[in-house]
Amino acid sequence: MFEFIVSYYNYWMYIGLMMIGFYAMMAKRNLIKKIIGMNIFQSAIIFFYISTSVKKGATVPILEHAHGHAAHAIDVMQYANPLPHVLMLTAIVVMVATLGVALAVVIMIYRRYNTLEEDEIIMLLRRG
Amino acid sequence: MKILSLIAGLLVGAALIYGSLDMPKWGDPHSPASTHVSPYYLRHSIDDTATPNVVTSILADYRGYDTLGETTVVFTAGMAAILLLRKGRKR
Amino acid sequence: MMAQIPMLIVVIPLLFAFLTPLVGLWRKGLCYYWSVLALSLCALASIDTLFAVIHGGTIHYHLGGWAPPFGIEYVVDHLSAMMLVIVSAISLTVVIYSKRSVEKELPGKVVYFYTVFLLQVIGFMGIVITGDLFNLYVFLEIASLAGYALVAVGEDGAPVACFRYIVMGTIGACFYLLGVGYIYISTGSLNMADVYQILPQMYHSKVVLTAVAFLLAGLAVKMALFPVHVWLPDAYTKAPSAASALIAPLMTKISLYVMIRVLFTVFKPVLSIEILPVTDIMVWAGFVAILGGAIMALAQTDLKRMLCYIVVAEVGYIVGGAGLANATAMKGAILHILNDAVMTVGLFTVAGIVMYKTGRHDLSDCKDLFKKMPFTMAAFVVGALSIIGVPPTCGFFSKWYLIHGAVIAKHWAFLAALLFSSLISVVLFFRVIEIGYDFQASHGGYTHSAEHTAIIDEAPLSMLVPTIVIAIAIILIGLYNQTIVSNIIDFAVPRL
Repeated sequence: MFEFIVSYYNYWMYIGLMMIGFYAMMAKRNLIKKIIGMNIFQSAIIFFYISTSVKKGATVPILEHAHGHAAHAIDVMQYANPLPHVLMLTAIVVMVATLGVALAVVIMIYRRYNTLEEDEIIMLLRRG
Repeated sequence: MKILSLIAGLLVGAALIYGSLDMPKWGDPHSPASTHVSPYYLRHSIDDTATPNVVTSILADYRGYDTLGETTVVFTAGMAAILLLRKGRKR
Repeated sequence: MMAQIPMLIVVIPLLFAFLTPLVGLWRKGLCYYWSVLALSLCALASIDTLFAVIHGGTIHYHLGGWAPPFGIEYVVDHLSAMMLVIVSAISLTVVIYSKRSVEKELPGKVVYFYTVFLLQVIGFMGIVITGDLFNLYVFLEIASLAGYALVAVGEDGAPVACFRYIVMGTIGACFYLLGVGYIYISTGSLNMADVYQILPQMYHSKVVLTAVAFLLAGLAVKMALFPVHVWLPDAYTKAPSAASALIAPLMTKISLYVMIRVLFTVFKPVLSIEILPVTDIMVWAGFVAILGGAIMALAQTDLKRMLCYIVVAEVGYIVGGAGLANATAMKGAILHILNDAVMTVGLFTVAGIVMYKTGRHDLSDCKDLFKKMPFTMAAFVVGALSIIGVPPTCGFFSKWYLIHGAVIAKHWAFLAALLFSSLISVVLFFRVIEIGYDFQASHGGYTHSAEHTAIIDEAPLSMLVPTIVIAIAIILIGLYNQTIVSNIIDFAVPRL
């Protein structure tokens, strides 16, 4: 039982974080809170990927530089999996870019309606 | 709306946790993710790219196209911000 | 050089897009011609690729020379080549059409509009041509970000519509990324062909089933499948005319293409048909989407909003057709992707012309348009007939394949939905034609007040010629549909 929790708790933690962000995106009425929720959701996905690259007892994937006959065999088990880190570097950039565009849209909304609460904006929209 | 979102969040979370039950254990060095493609990167990074930092060699060489895409994403976001926030002439 | 053409399809517009702000600094008026040049070269490269695929089979292009699964590869098979030509031809037509409309609706922002326009097209091309799951996510985000920007600079109320689009679009893309993550955890590879080889022994593991569920859920949000379509009507109605003419036909169709790729090229079809009831759910989702879209379109008084709900219904046709899981229905679904893209762009360009001339896109603004803009309205009638499904327009032939497929699969509910939606389209479009010919002038009905009587004459040539070319294309695709099906679509249908 304890062994079961210890092997899977990292996935569950990040899923929980994802759901906090997801709830914030959908349920909150302030536009900035929705954007914060979006940020939490995407960050949790990034953590989720990274947690799959861990190997027990491994170190960072930077090899000792040696050429020619001095090169020695590389023990793959000693180094952490580098691929999810690379993918998530790109995903972080995408997350920040989406955040930037979302905030630009919020600035446009604020300039026009002078409020950031969704229900007030809908009321102002209905009035035309 | 809040209750609906709460229920939706719990359902999605439950589906994700259900999916995680068959996953390899945390830190397992024999998981498919650690034994299929990434050993090639670790073993051949210095021969192919002369870079000891494997993350850099994947980012800039093996999967350099993703990095080009990432640069384009940043450019798109910048252009989008200018397009959105620039005050146009009065129509 | 010839071997590099698949790469050039994405790289040429990318280079032109990076240089567009500099060109705009030099001469603002030059940006339009710069974008037209970029998209013409791109269209030439796509047509060349299509012929190369028809004569030579699937093209595999290894980026950077690294063999897959260690590097990224481009896979251009018949379906991808057809999608490339659709995207580049439609974007070229819309960019030629866009000159007057962008100058009128977005003064002072023309340079950046064309930059983001080119980036949007790059995003679409990158999605269609790639053979790597994570690379698809990167280009999906390029297309999405450009789309958010293009929608938000529209008329009053566009930023609010765009914000909802951002929230729902991000949820969709993140679910897609989660699905790819689950596939990576269970296989260790991101290459589509590699995953196809490795996965079959794991089809009963919970990770893979969850991966399918989340991939499809994310794509369903992106393709505006009823009931997560709520972002589409507001966003595409309030967007500028050139932007909605570009994005409305293409974004949903490209998400449908990704769904077909995921279900039939990454996973074996047996997963969707026997192990998980995915195809059954797809047919019922298509059924609900067709009915929902058609009925909501009836309730609209705004021309562009009505067209948006028709787009929602058309997505239902393709999802249901793909879900019927026999070869005829798949042929119909893939042919319908082509036909629907062309029909939708035809109708949205006409709506853009109405907006350019009258400043609004309400149904009542179509009054008397048949007398004042005969060519534009003729193009509208051709598009309308195609949506209803009248031969020899292209819409008839894809509907025929879908109906035939529904009969083979004995799915009578879907067949009924197809016929019912044709009837509703007749009502919808004859309502507009009635207003256009001003039959109701003396009876009240849709008469509008005197302030809106703008001086209307025929549309300017730069907007009219592309609209008429699309109308001619609708008829030509219908007449030559047999050639298209036998040369391209028969090979594009996945073996079921």
